[in-house]
Amino acid sequence: MPIKTWELDPNFKYEIMNEPGGEHLTACYQCSTCTLGCPVTEIIPSYNPRKIIQMSLLGMRKEVLSNADLWICALCQTCTARCPQDVMICELMGAIRRIAEEEEAAGNIKIESARPLFEKAFLHTLQKYGRLYDMGLALEYYPNREGSKIKGMKAMMKDYKDFGMRMFKKGKMGPLGGGGVFKGMLPEKIKEREVLKKIFEQLGEKEK
Amino acid sequence: MSEKKIAYHPGCPSATTAMEQDMSTRAVFEKLGIELEELEDWNCCGALEAEDPKLVIALNARNLALAERKGQDIVTPCSICYYNLARADQALREDEKLRAELKEIDSSLEYNGTVKAKHVLDVLVNDIGLAELSGKLVKKVNLKVAPYYGCYLGRPPETAFDDPDDPVLMDQLIELIGAENVPFSYMKTKCCGGPLMMTRADIAFEMARKILESAKKAGADCIVLACPLCGMMLDAKQPDIEAAFKVKIEMPVIYITQLLGLALGIEPKKLGLNKNIIDTKKILEKVM
Repeated sequence: MPIKTWELDPNFKYEIMNEPGGEHLTACYQCSTCTLGCPVTEIIPSYNPRKIIQMSLLGMRKEVLSNADLWICALCQTCTARCPQDVMICELMGAIRRIAEEEEAAGNIKIESARPLFEKAFLHTLQKYGRLYDMGLALEYYPNREGSKIKGMKAMMKDYKDFGMRMFKKGKMGPLGGGGVFKGMLPEKIKEREVLKKIFEQLGEKEK
Repeated sequence: MSEKKIAYHPGCPSATTAMEQDMSTRAVFEKLGIELEELEDWNCCGALEAEDPKLVIALNARNLALAERKGQDIVTPCSICYYNLARADQALREDEKLRAELKEIDSSLEYNGTVKAKHVLDVLVNDIGLAELSGKLVKKVNLKVAPYYGCYLGRPPETAFDDPDDPVLMDQLIELIGAENVPFSYMKTKCCGGPLMMTRADIAFEMARKILESAKKAGADCIVLACPLCGMMLDAKQPDIEAAFKVKIEMPVIYITQLLGLALGIEPKKLGLNKNIIDTKKILEKVM
């Protein structure tokens, strides 16, 4: 579909460059090294970081921010390492994702990915306990992703029934490996949780 | 290496899914006469889920400051913890304003940039060194190994301590203990898919499957790696990947500290070799 030049937002690139990680956007000269080496593109050929950058430079704000491809970057840093212009594409994509989350919170777009829900659940456990708590994370994430508690539990069981049994048998969770009957099932809490509370109050990502 | 004490940041999976990595790291350093002092009350590094760089820096400033107060460098076996600790360290060294801002949030975040954050592999090969290690080897491990590095040891350039495209530190350790590296350079640094596991398992499984099948094709007895997320994908999820693609892979996956520990003569159980999901018995048969 042709680009409607009158709908472009010339300020979009500056909006991205103001977000930490997005500073180097305009250094891109479209060589496509990022996309050629991308392990996700190998599997999903339509995934094209170069194109997302060009669309951002042109000011296709809505198309970029509502693009589901933003959320399948594996954060592997291959593009960042290989970019001849030091665009820091991995960080740039993160900056664009954060703007997209703000737009969704403002009711302007709908993000077609469960990743923001996952990240939120992860950060909630971190904020609360100071360490990752897998089970707490899953108990928040799956119901949110599936839209109901029951559907969430079903999806979680499907993903984790066999995996959980493996962990149990090897004593990585549960009573068989020492470290208590409920090892891995209850959160490990740090003492200075107050500090984390302060960090998240001051710096916590918007809407998280 | 002159210091005999290093602050140890085990990382969150050390208590559960990657407990064999934690066990073998502790056992290897004990054998080498270096004391790993677990950082008291350490917190999660934010992994890859905290996407705001400033939040990551604040979270890791607390860990760095804990080590700094003890006057010790900080070492971690996890590639992602390493990346976050190292980039926080760099950012704070360069940015006085940011240091002041964090101190304002809480005094425990005051970090003055006097210690270094390191990955276990970096300490083993570059600080302790191959020469010192070779003097302590007591067993030959007659294995064909696919060395898998993943993302955050050689990338991004700011925090990398090995080559981004053809890293060699694990290759060197593998050769040192008498094992053989199979041709694997085209797969060494390909992402395992871990960060997509919970939201796009279909893509993540495909990424992991490629690595596992390449190792098999290359004739490896096992994959050796240095990151708990890679371990989770390639080892703990391997039966799920086999089921999803209806293939048989059965590729043992162990941590580099487990392999080195065998050559140092440490008991397999102490290295957690009974904790890996894919059975490691065949590996143990080849320790002479």
